[in-house]
Amino acid sequence: MNTLQRVLVIVGYEWKRALAKKKILALVILAIVIQVLPFIAFTQISPGFLTEEAKATMWIFGALGGQSLFIQLVAMIIAGGSMSEEYEHGTADILLSKPIRRLEYLAGKFVGGFLLLIAVETLMVATGVLMGFAFFGPQSQLQFAPLILGAIAYSSLLFFSLTFMFSEVVRRGMIAILVAIGVFIVSQILSGVLLVLYSLSQASGQPVSFYLDLSKVLPTWSAGSLPTFIASQLMPTLQNPLITLATGDTALSAALIAVYMVASIALAVTRLLKSDITKKAD
Amino acid sequence: MAQDVINVSNLTKFYGEFQALDNVSFQVEKGWVYGYLGPNGAGKTTTIRTMLGLLKPNHGKVQINGVDSTKNPIDAFQSLGYAPELPTLQTFFTAEQLLDFTAKMFGVGSQTRQQRVKQLLSLVGLEDWGNKKIGKYSKGMVQRLSVALALVNDPVVLIMDEPTIGMDPEATAHFRNLFVELSKKGKTIFVSSHLLDEVQRVCTHVGMINKGKMVFSGPIEEVLETFTQRWVIEAEVDIATSDIVSALKNLGFVEDVTVEGNKLMVQLKEKKDFRGEVSSEIFKQKRTLLSLNLHKVTLEDAYLSALKGVHEK
Repeated sequence: MNTLQRVLVIVGYEWKRALAKKKILALVILAIVIQVLPFIAFTQISPGFLTEEAKATMWIFGALGGQSLFIQLVAMIIAGGSMSEEYEHGTADILLSKPIRRLEYLAGKFVGGFLLLIAVETLMVATGVLMGFAFFGPQSQLQFAPLILGAIAYSSLLFFSLTFMFSEVVRRGMIAILVAIGVFIVSQILSGVLLVLYSLSQASGQPVSFYLDLSKVLPTWSAGSLPTFIASQLMPTLQNPLITLATGDTALSAALIAVYMVASIALAVTRLLKSDITKKAD
Repeated sequence: MAQDVINVSNLTKFYGEFQALDNVSFQVEKGWVYGYLGPNGAGKTTTIRTMLGLLKPNHGKVQINGVDSTKNPIDAFQSLGYAPELPTLQTFFTAEQLLDFTAKMFGVGSQTRQQRVKQLLSLVGLEDWGNKKIGKYSKGMVQRLSVALALVNDPVVLIMDEPTIGMDPEATAHFRNLFVELSKKGKTIFVSSHLLDEVQRVCTHVGMINKGKMVFSGPIEEVLETFTQRWVIEAEVDIATSDIVSALKNLGFVEDVTVEGNKLMVQLKEKKDFRGEVSSEIFKQKRTLLSLNLHKVTLEDAYLSALKGVHEK
């Protein structure tokens, strides 16, 4: 067996492990519910205020709707248990006493978990498209759906990697998820404060760009913004009152996601390679 | 020259300030059944987990089939099977799925895997449970499956940590015979256990560890010879008089005689069966012999003696 084959064996294992657990099934059901409910609400409450053009792009609302929060949470839940649960259950010993390098094991876990996340994201985008068709008739600009899905998947790498790293470093699934959620919330709050400070400085006539720049370095900015930046570039003339596509520095947000990902993976690799394999938690 | 299948040299491991292993060294040659003994917390599992590359030693080296397991786990573990103590297996798998997955990790081909899975389930007596989720298994069944998993790659060397723990006596006997059979087929077996009777029946060699230090490593006969006291004949008589005691003490092969109630404990100078001579002497003294037993040394005696020696040091 070569390295790729060994990694793929772990990818397959990670899928079986995830699918066997009810929390993944619960996430899938929740993803569908989250997609379907807003569509039902819009058709019931105010069907008249949407133009024909807006109705034809409702799938974008479905595709991007859960991106900034729900997808990030799913990423954290999947990544949080990926490494840590093997330590908690004592199965890491069994896996790592087989002919596999620790790095290959980690790669298989990471790729397997991320592919699972992509599957959930694909399901969400597909459900969004289907709901658009079902509630608002024929949809347009669907050629951009794969690119938007790609952007969603790429942006979710940030919190996925971060939580994956916590999962390996603390080796406790629940703690890893809670720490990641903590980072997410703190980042959101700080981002809001920094934007307020920037607005105040602007109002005083002496804008301090440092506040704005600092807010962009926070993980929630790039993870939450990249898909809308890309969507706004793809569909600059989109007219839909339910969708606000912010414009921004796509390259910077993509680069920041890469930086967070590489740093997180490097920390996880260091922890795994340099330390003992923890025995089952009592 | 004999081939070392396992070569552990100067293994030292600290957990913070606590020294779990102190320069542990031993070699296991092809075909040996090596029993690794020691009290709880002596360092048995730490040794095994270090051998498997799960723990990083502070000092020392482990070679499996001549390959450093920390540097090249692929080659070192390709021909190694490991059954951990009280394993927690992936409960979401069935036994068939877990065996198949494990075989896949060793690169066993699809068709061979199917055959191997069936054979192994039958070998460990789980053929009727193969398609049931492991979460429904009893402790003993998980232990059986763990042994099957250790054999999935047809290993050259088997490392087992308390393999029969949790098994019923019938299963214990079955696995004892299985280990003997595997050894006859040329497999090298390293087994950690504190069932000394089992070890004495199955193992060709033993290693003893206490407080992280190797006390002994060598053939089982040698440990019995090195660490045990003399054989004792226990003679129960109607009345243990001082005449009998003096008469027995005068026999050339007797080291000493002590009296416990109506029992005479005759310590022998040599490890030979002198029951005939002792009973003749008792009859000569016109006493009634009620029972006569020879207490040979057991591995337990040797083990306790070895540990006592370390404590006294």
